[in-house]
Amino acid sequence: MIGYVIKRLLSIVLTMAIMSVLIFWITQVMPGNVAYMILGDFAAPADIATLEAKLGLNDPAHVQYWRWASGLLRGDLGMSLVMERPIGPILADTVSKSAILAGISIGLVALVGIAVGVYAGVRHGKPADHVVSVATYLNIAVPEFLFAIVVVMLFAGYLNWFPATGYSDLSNGFGAWARHIVLPVATLVLGLMAHISRLTRSSMIDTMQSQYVRAARARGLSEWLVIRRHALPNALLPTITVLAIDVGIMMGGIVVVETIFSYPGLGRLLMFAIQNMDVPLLQACMIVITFVYAAANLTADLLYAFLNPRVRYGRSAGD
Amino acid sequence: MADLALNVRGLSVSYGSDGDRVRVLHDVDMQVARGRALGIVGESGSGKSTAALAVLGLLDKGAAIDAGQVLVDGRDLYAATAEERRRLRGGKVSIVFQDPFTTLNPAIRVGRQIAEPLMMHRGMNAAQAEAETLRLLTEVGIADPARMAASYPHQLSGGMKQRALIASALGCDPDLLILDEPTTALDVTIEAQILDLLEELRRTRALSILFISHNLGVVSRICDDICVLYAGRVVEQGPTRTVLSQPRHPYTKGLLASLPSLSVERRRLEAIPGRLPDQRQPQPGCIFAARCHFAQARCTAEPQALADAGNGTRNRCWRSEELQDTPWRVEAGASVERRPPAVDAPTVVDARGVARHFRSGSFIDALSLRWQGWRPAVAYRPHGVRAVDDVNLTIRAGEIVGLVGESGSGKTTLGRCLIDLVSPTAGDIRIDGQSLLAASRGAKRALLRNAQIIFQNPDSSLNPRMTVAQIVGRPLDQIGASGTDRDRRVRELLDLVRLGAGYADRYPHQMSGGEKQRVGIARALATRPKFIVCDEAVSALDVSVQASVLNLLLDLRDAFGLAYLFITHDLSVVSYVADRICVMRHGKLVEEGATASILGAPQHPYTTALLAAVPRVRLAEAPVRPTA
Amino acid sequence: MAAVPAIDAAPRRRRLPTSLIVGTGLLGAILLLAVLGPLLSPYDLDAMRIDLRLAPPSAAHWLGTDEFGRDVASRVLNGAQSSLLMGFGATAVSLAIGVPLGLVAGYYRGWTDEVIMRAVDVMISLPPIILGLLILSVTTPSLWKTVLAVGFVYVPIMTRLTRSVTLEVATEEYIQAARARVESGWYILFREILPNAWPPIIVESALRVTFAMLLAAALSFLGLGVQPPASDWGLMIAEARPFVTQAPWIVGGAGTALCVTVIAINLFGDGLREALDPRLSRRR
Repeated sequence: MIGYVIKRLLSIVLTMAIMSVLIFWITQVMPGNVAYMILGDFAAPADIATLEAKLGLNDPAHVQYWRWASGLLRGDLGMSLVMERPIGPILADTVSKSAILAGISIGLVALVGIAVGVYAGVRHGKPADHVVSVATYLNIAVPEFLFAIVVVMLFAGYLNWFPATGYSDLSNGFGAWARHIVLPVATLVLGLMAHISRLTRSSMIDTMQSQYVRAARARGLSEWLVIRRHALPNALLPTITVLAIDVGIMMGGIVVVETIFSYPGLGRLLMFAIQNMDVPLLQACMIVITFVYAAANLTADLLYAFLNPRVRYGRSAGD
Repeated sequence: MADLALNVRGLSVSYGSDGDRVRVLHDVDMQVARGRALGIVGESGSGKSTAALAVLGLLDKGAAIDAGQVLVDGRDLYAATAEERRRLRGGKVSIVFQDPFTTLNPAIRVGRQIAEPLMMHRGMNAAQAEAETLRLLTEVGIADPARMAASYPHQLSGGMKQRALIASALGCDPDLLILDEPTTALDVTIEAQILDLLEELRRTRALSILFISHNLGVVSRICDDICVLYAGRVVEQGPTRTVLSQPRHPYTKGLLASLPSLSVERRRLEAIPGRLPDQRQPQPGCIFAARCHFAQARCTAEPQALADAGNGTRNRCWRSEELQDTPWRVEAGASVERRPPAVDAPTVVDARGVARHFRSGSFIDALSLRWQGWRPAVAYRPHGVRAVDDVNLTIRAGEIVGLVGESGSGKTTLGRCLIDLVSPTAGDIRIDGQSLLAASRGAKRALLRNAQIIFQNPDSSLNPRMTVAQIVGRPLDQIGASGTDRDRRVRELLDLVRLGAGYADRYPHQMSGGEKQRVGIARALATRPKFIVCDEAVSALDVSVQASVLNLLLDLRDAFGLAYLFITHDLSVVSYVADRICVMRHGKLVEEGATASILGAPQHPYTTALLAAVPRVRLAEAPVRPTA
Repeated sequence: MAAVPAIDAAPRRRRLPTSLIVGTGLLGAILLLAVLGPLLSPYDLDAMRIDLRLAPPSAAHWLGTDEFGRDVASRVLNGAQSSLLMGFGATAVSLAIGVPLGLVAGYYRGWTDEVIMRAVDVMISLPPIILGLLILSVTTPSLWKTVLAVGFVYVPIMTRLTRSVTLEVATEEYIQAARARVESGWYILFREILPNAWPPIIVESALRVTFAMLLAAALSFLGLGVQPPASDWGLMIAEARPFVTQAPWIVGGAGTALCVTVIAINLFGDGLREALDPRLSRRR
């Protein structure tokens, strides 16, 4: 177990390091002259020279990278070019807002999606299973941005129940905050439900056909006990990994959803950085996303290892 | 016959959906009298496992009982409600499945799994169930029951798991215990221990047993009565001793004739030709007629009911009385020549000091954290396995060397080292006098034309996307054969393995297991090798097919002077084919000698234990009787 | 022994899965429309009619018009090409890179495997849309760049899948037999392993096409894919978003087209899986 944890940690540190090089290389080194990209093709040479000096673009690539990366390690994310403010506080604020959005959504997705998947898996081949299968089938074909637009059209445009865009801070009251967050959450949940429920369903079906479930039935256990005690713990183990993947998918969804709903989170900040060629901000956003996703995966792996007796206890008697 | 633990009457079961149903059990009758053990014997496709599941009421979805009754303790299982059936399972009827590795739930401690039926059927509370679990574990021979109960399945060996499952099945003192190939997944010495345990339990508990197996030796050891199943039909049944000593049905005769026995004296094995009939086609007459060389016109035309033979057995052959004393004989073979160790023949394979170590896991896996006082210390301890440890082995032209050992003994790794599929970590291997390890790639290719391999699993050893001609022809392409010459060679090879040129355009899925294995042999023969590694080459085959492949291998040796390294876990098979036997354990050769001397006077205690463990078809002594 | 028994009942013909039939039919129709789109469309794609801005569906304009008065039906019909091109093109890119990498990693193991799989881990350390954004953020957007970027995003999945299938096939004894003949690595990878690894790869590719289409649409929607005035479905939805309450037919038309195409390909892929997957055809 200890070896496993060390191994996972090392591999994540390595991955983060390589990813940081890639991010830096793609955004700063590769496309030729960043200053041109930022200032446009008709910028005065003097302005370009000033900007290049300011960004340190005249230094060799590895010096530039090291300056940036060592800043990261010290917790210094640099200055936003466009907003001309330190990136750290900006990110802290947007990340926490996105975290609330994503946290609520992933919680709902896990709860409802797994329940639906288990139900369909247990009722495999019955009408309820077919209903779930068809529903998730249709669900999976609809992209998040379309869900978002339809949801806005129905509940903001026609029914006028919730605001179409924007964000209200909790300090302005819970009601206003909740009204603003309902539609983004609904969109994210709709976008992910099908994924997790389908995978849970197939995992459940596999488990129900396993030899140990047959053995449990041969002991005369009631079907309910067979499912609860024998099938569920084994069938739900893989969903932990699926949830970590879903965190990643949801981060993509957050970019789309925050853009559509003008929700002031990390996703919108990322799009802002891209649209305005705010290179330091873009780099910082990418690093944060890499880090969060890596943390989610690590958590899932460790949780999986902890819940799986094979990893938790290793083997004691030889085979 | 009044007191029956199990009475199956006219049971027919089929699988599949409408319009595409396959009947897997036809009009099956069988009875287990209280306190007796009935063995169901059959090869793959006989329907024996379906019979077990039907008796439990646990058939898969898509299976249907077309006719017949299953009476457990006098109660009709399929007239009962699903809920009543559930209450019978685990209480009145319990089962031990074949594969202990998948039958225990990996997420639940073993003790809890054993306690489940106790709480379910005997109404015990948790503490009572725990105490009873420990008692049961002691009864099945577990030395440290408390530790066992607290373990997860992956922490136990296969034999331990099977003991736990037997304990679980005994928990509610069942009226009927079903054992579905309970020892097939286990090594032979473990198998012997489990069989000892079962015999012991029969004595102490007066169990009624339904024992399902493909192994006649195992069945003859445990069972009072036997029921031979072929293609879903009972072809013969009766007291075990009578059926095995005076078989009346041709299939039973054939089965016994094709079974290699652990003995010095060798009669040539008689195979059963052909293969299992396609059960989707209706079979108007005797189901065995197509493979039976006693078959006459009447056999294929008229169905045959189970008839009394007069000696306490029943069978489905109308010629059984007339053929009473005629043995099954297909191949006109006398006994097989057992060659003396060929001292004068040239050495084909010479392996010296061969070792192969595997390091398991990566660098990081070998790190472990320990606390020295309050300071952590990281230690680097690579886990290694010495799969093969300093082995010397020579094989001479025309010699068959049997390599026996249990799983994990390193016998497969050693075999693969000899043909460069695995590189040894130390030692030297010479084929035809030339060093294999020092050879360049081109020289190796030339060298390995002389040393080939035949694999275990007919389903895996042929590329499913290639035709037989492509498979057998590929080695010929490599040595530059082409055009008509190549086609001619392919035909010759197919004739050689007794398949015929008609098979050239078939794909593997269009052939039976035995046919596929012959293609594998033809492929190995293509480059005219001098030496062939037979890696469990007949282990995956049914007994009747195994015999014909063994005979083929012997004939090829005689015709071409081939040398074989015959790797197997099955001592009976090796005693039939080998001139010399090597016994391997934990990567080392523990004993080596001529077959007769190994069988007659084994020197090493491990060899003795292995020999003692082999289940033989016992005709002389009566099976154990319950004393209760 | 000489008599060859007849090949019994051949590999029994099983009924083709319904999903495969329906999916193939739908997909065929969509492909046909995509090819014939330019010929079938009743109006010039870019013809603007300011007097007909945001006109609702009518006999003349079946799906109404957009904010520039362009015919939505014509544009939806033509949008099929770019969506399908992005879906299939990107999948082809990911196959071309991922399959060889997976084969090599899965067969040779050791250091090769380690290096390839670490590289894959790095690529997977960003979620798909974000990786796409990173690649596209610094270049001027265009259709082929989107295809490449999306294809690149799915390389890790193809590599991992191919590797896992290769690992499985490599344990088969016929691979050992090939090694015992000292066959070249090329022969073993492409003649022995690949033909047996194809079915799951094909099935995954079919489903991957829809993911690629949806991802490309999302990137276009975010402004980093296909650029105006192209008639791409994702782009059309993005452009029509401000008018969705007044003119839902634009989003409706393009959205429905996108979803139906995705469902068609999914049906096709699932049908293929059912037809090819030996686990489903095994009985008992």
